[in-house]
Amino acid sequence: MSKPEKSNLDPRNFKPAIVYTIYIASTPEKVWEALTTAEFSRKYFSGHAVEVDQRIGGAFIMRTPDGALHISGEVIECEPPRKLTVTFNVNWPALVEKLGPTLVTYEIEPAGDAVKLTMLQSHDRDISDDILSGGRAGWPAILSSLKSLLETGQALAIEMQPPERMLAALKEMGIGTP
Amino acid sequence: MDEVFKALADASRRSLLDRLHAKNGQTLNELCDGLAMTRQAVTKHLGILEAANLVTTLRHGREKLHYINPVPIHQIGERWIRKFERGKLAALSELKRQLEKRDE
Repeated sequence: MSKPEKSNLDPRNFKPAIVYTIYIASTPEKVWEALTTAEFSRKYFSGHAVEVDQRIGGAFIMRTPDGALHISGEVIECEPPRKLTVTFNVNWPALVEKLGPTLVTYEIEPAGDAVKLTMLQSHDRDISDDILSGGRAGWPAILSSLKSLLETGQALAIEMQPPERMLAALKEMGIGTP
Repeated sequence: MDEVFKALADASRRSLLDRLHAKNGQTLNELCDGLAMTRQAVTKHLGILEAANLVTTLRHGREKLHYINPVPIHQIGERWIRKFERGKLAALSELKRQLEKRDE
């Protein structure tokens, strides 16, 4: 593979807007594997398949269950099995142009017999509550499902409503949504 | 889970969560601002909320920021509330909200 081209994005310019923590009875290696492989993500991330080229500047992508490219991003920080930061840009027309890039960071720390997983969603500008409502609704369900999958072998079948409030706000800003 | 219910069983701690809900990622100083609680009391309550995993702290530059963490509450919801009919519960909450608004 050719050497990936690094962007000059500096995570220090980003402020976390959403920070969620969950304790999972597992090992850092298992949690890392669950966060970075499609085999796991399909089960806890509403059928989405993640692919990560685990090096700085490598590609981070997420596909919908029908194979369409949903998130296309880049690996910004990669310290397996402790920390992964990626740009988490949804492939909707004009989204990155209007909202700037979105950073997602996973921090994994041992905590006794369990693992503390912290997920951060950060932006380089203020983002309205309407837009953030999508992540606020989605991430707790995804993290809870990931926990169940690792602890019991079974992900949660959570019925998710479409994030209407976020979609309406994006539409108002002229961002194309499905 | 006991820790979550104990942490929530206190009006001061619930008001701190309300403040973080209104504005996430605040410093201790911001959280103390305008509250009728001593800084020491706020620090103690935040410690209890953090131990219950209802608040997550992180360093951002030189500041320590506090974020509301709804994951344990989500888990309570999944365990008990989802077994009931969420749609009807939401409709009842909305009805209550609309009716109470009239008195304002």
